[in-house]
Amino acid sequence: MSVDFLHPGEGAPIDTDVSALEMRGIGKRFPGVVALDNVDFTLEPGKIHALMGENGAGKSTLIKIMAGVYGKDAGTIRMRGREVDIKSPRDSLKEGIKVVFQEIALISEFTVAENIFLEGYPTGRTGSIDWKKIRADSAALFNRIGFNVDPAARTGSLPVSQQQMVEIARALAHEARVVVMDEPTSSLTPNEVSLLFTVIRRLAALGIAVVYVSHKLDEVFEIADTVTVLRDGRHISTRPIGEHTNDTLIQDMIGRRIDNLFPRQRGAAGSKVALSVENLSTAKKLIDVSFEARAGEVLGFFGLMGAGRTELAKAIVGYDPIASGTVTVDGQRLAPHDTRTGVRLGIGLLTEDRKSEGLMGELPVYQNASLASLGAFARLGFVDKAKEHQAVQDYVDRFRIKTPSLFQQIKNLSGGNQQKVLISRWLMRGLKVIVVDEPTRGIDVGAKSEIFALIDRLAGEGLAVVMMTSEMPELLGLADRIAVMCEGRLTALMPREEATQEKILNAAIG
Amino acid sequence: MSLASTASAKDQPSLLARLFARQELALLVCLVLVLAFFSATVENFFSVRNMTNVLGQASLALTAGIGCALVFISGEVDISIGSLLATIALPLIIIMNDTNSLALGVGGALLFGLIIGMVNGYLVAYAGINSLIVTLGTMFIMRGGVYLYTGQRAISDDASLDSFIALSDGRLFNIIPYSAVIAIVLLVAFGYMMQHWPFGRQIYAVGGNQEVARLAGYDVRRVKFICFIISALLATVAGIILAARVGSAQHTAGLNFEFQVVAATVLGGVSLAGGIGSLTGMALGVLILQFLSNGLRGLGLPTEWQLVITGMIIIAAVAFDEAKHRRANGG
Ligand SMILES: Nc1ncnc2c1ncn2[C@@H]1O[C@H](COP(=O)(O)OP(=O)(O)OP(=O)(O)O)[C@@H](O)[C@H]1O
Ligand SMILES: [Mg+2]
Repeated sequence: MSVDFLHPGEGAPIDTDVSALEMRGIGKRFPGVVALDNVDFTLEPGKIHALMGENGAGKSTLIKIMAGVYGKDAGTIRMRGREVDIKSPRDSLKEGIKVVFQEIALISEFTVAENIFLEGYPTGRTGSIDWKKIRADSAALFNRIGFNVDPAARTGSLPVSQQQMVEIARALAHEARVVVMDEPTSSLTPNEVSLLFTVIRRLAALGIAVVYVSHKLDEVFEIADTVTVLRDGRHISTRPIGEHTNDTLIQDMIGRRIDNLFPRQRGAAGSKVALSVENLSTAKKLIDVSFEARAGEVLGFFGLMGAGRTELAKAIVGYDPIASGTVTVDGQRLAPHDTRTGVRLGIGLLTEDRKSEGLMGELPVYQNASLASLGAFARLGFVDKAKEHQAVQDYVDRFRIKTPSLFQQIKNLSGGNQQKVLISRWLMRGLKVIVVDEPTRGIDVGAKSEIFALIDRLAGEGLAVVMMTSEMPELLGLADRIAVMCEGRLTALMPREEATQEKILNAAIG
Repeated sequence: MSLASTASAKDQPSLLARLFARQELALLVCLVLVLAFFSATVENFFSVRNMTNVLGQASLALTAGIGCALVFISGEVDISIGSLLATIALPLIIIMNDTNSLALGVGGALLFGLIIGMVNGYLVAYAGINSLIVTLGTMFIMRGGVYLYTGQRAISDDASLDSFIALSDGRLFNIIPYSAVIAIVLLVAFGYMMQHWPFGRQIYAVGGNQEVARLAGYDVRRVKFICFIISALLATVAGIILAARVGSAQHTAGLNFEFQVVAATVLGGVSLAGGIGSLTGMALGVLILQFLSNGLRGLGLPTEWQLVITGMIIIAAVAFDEAKHRRANGG
């Protein structure tokens, strides 16, 4: 029998002597890409199985095959020894496979409660939906998990992190035997992550098989029983977590070793002020924020969810209106709401929410990359295509962006590779100040180290880099100075040498 | 009433803003303003007789509007309903003339409507052809077909069954036209379905985000297919009432009807993009336009002006709506 997270104890316990799910010889190709090649993947009931690999390794594709989103080209799927034919998401849900997808899949016009029960509404005797039960059960579910989300809120009005929590709760609202989480923590705070881990352990204790996809090694070491690594669509290894160290895991994932995640090549920062922010306040969040960023330095901003880092990022590049205060780039005042001047002065933002604010999904990779710098490729008012393609190709090579060609629609790239294209977009046009908001969200270790190296190099070349991050190692490893925010205020600003984890966290709590 | 259109109370500033956030309420206010204005300016406008007459006139659009709104909410469009009105009068009148049975005539008409709905639905949902194109096509085909069959002449209702004629001039308790009663019953039933039956919510989900609906295990194609069938069947009901009113089947019946219905539905806040809107809104949209045209006629304004004013109102209403959404999304 399957198990219901909200009503455990009902229904028979899960037999633990048969595999919950067994995928054998799975193959899948997309035009120009072999996404999966003869992959085996077996899940045991009550075990937490991490699925790891570089961006584009095929993790999400494997998951989408078990979820019935994609059909497979080869291979078999068995559930408890019985071969199953999963042709649609419906079939997969019926088998008790519940997936938290990497890209948020909720109806934004619906309330949170309705989204949670989207898969099957509880109905009364007359066949009408039991809204009372839906609201009560959603509230109970959030309670049990420990997430703080209003079940009556319109889903689209919630921040990404809360939507992610809704997704997670949804996977637990119905009876399940396999629960899959594809990068569920990419927008969660450490506290929320630990709540999630408690839930995952509880699921495992109930006999549910859990698949956990993440690029965060520490998370995987903390939660997983077993790790399967994919690389380039092939199965590389499946081992108990105890047999792995950081190094062996990275070795399996990228096929080489990374000795130092934060190699520092650049010299000391200069003294020239590239960006100066004075007494900046906004209507919604920021209160009297002042700081300077110097050419050649990485200024790291830390803060908990809701501290105002994203708001600050948007205000200083001119996306959002400011209530009072000034932003000066390279000695020139930047009027709010004036992104054109911002672009001309040389300040650019790499947004945190790449799906809705950065990507143009239908357009090919090269156009997404060259968007902000078409002027550089113009000749007599026409874009010099050859030059444009060459420039994009350089970045594709340099970042090892995994795409069959420059002409692939960007929405078909894996999440991490999309991020790399967006970074290329800003790097391609010469900048003086670049603001990066969570630059490594959803990016694999290999690419992370490349992006760190790149940020280091950019600073070395004289850019001021303003980096918003909630990753402590990233902050300590990369920044020259560290700023901490709490509830819209700047609560600390210190040189890297004086910073400790404790000092930073204290300032973040306020 | 709908969970979907209720935003959370927390992120909304004032009571007034909250009221206006509710589409239906804003529309109700508009309707009251229209009624108040014409009551003051047009003699006998606010009489039981005139009110119930307008309700009777509105009942065609109210009935077919349900189907139109369902299709819109599912993320598609159906503009074949006007032609369908004319087309189903043929089997209806011919069968009644032959058999003297209203039931058989209505049965034949519904069967015909069902087939058209299935054709539209199949071509859109399963063959994947754009719904505007499909229903534009069936609109022309049906209109042409009726013309070919009847020529210039109307085929008149020779059976003259009392029960059929009652559909046009009968009134419940001598007050409310039967056609309006039918429309109201259908509105209540489908309104309930849209908010409280899983299928109704599936339509919203499919229109709101097709891919998400699929991931939740919905059969997106089936949902759309059924919406087209419902739309055709409801247009058939409207067509039966229209045929009773004109007492014949003729090729000009229901000309431009689809655009009146689309206009009212859009005015009622049902988004062409799918996933948003309610039958209450649609019904208010129909009533506003119907009372407006009745009142303007009472003021002695020629039909041409009514068209111009209706057009301006629709654009203004949708523009207002857009502005509101933009503000709500803070961009
Ligand atoms: N719908 C699609 N059409 C074409 N190619 C696709 C499609 N979906 C995935 N791919 C390709 O298949 C490969 C595997 O992608 P997948 O999304 O499974 O990677 P991933 O391991 O989940 O990566 P990430 O860590 O970045 O999420 C990639 O090269 C990707 O570009
Ligand atoms: Mg993925």
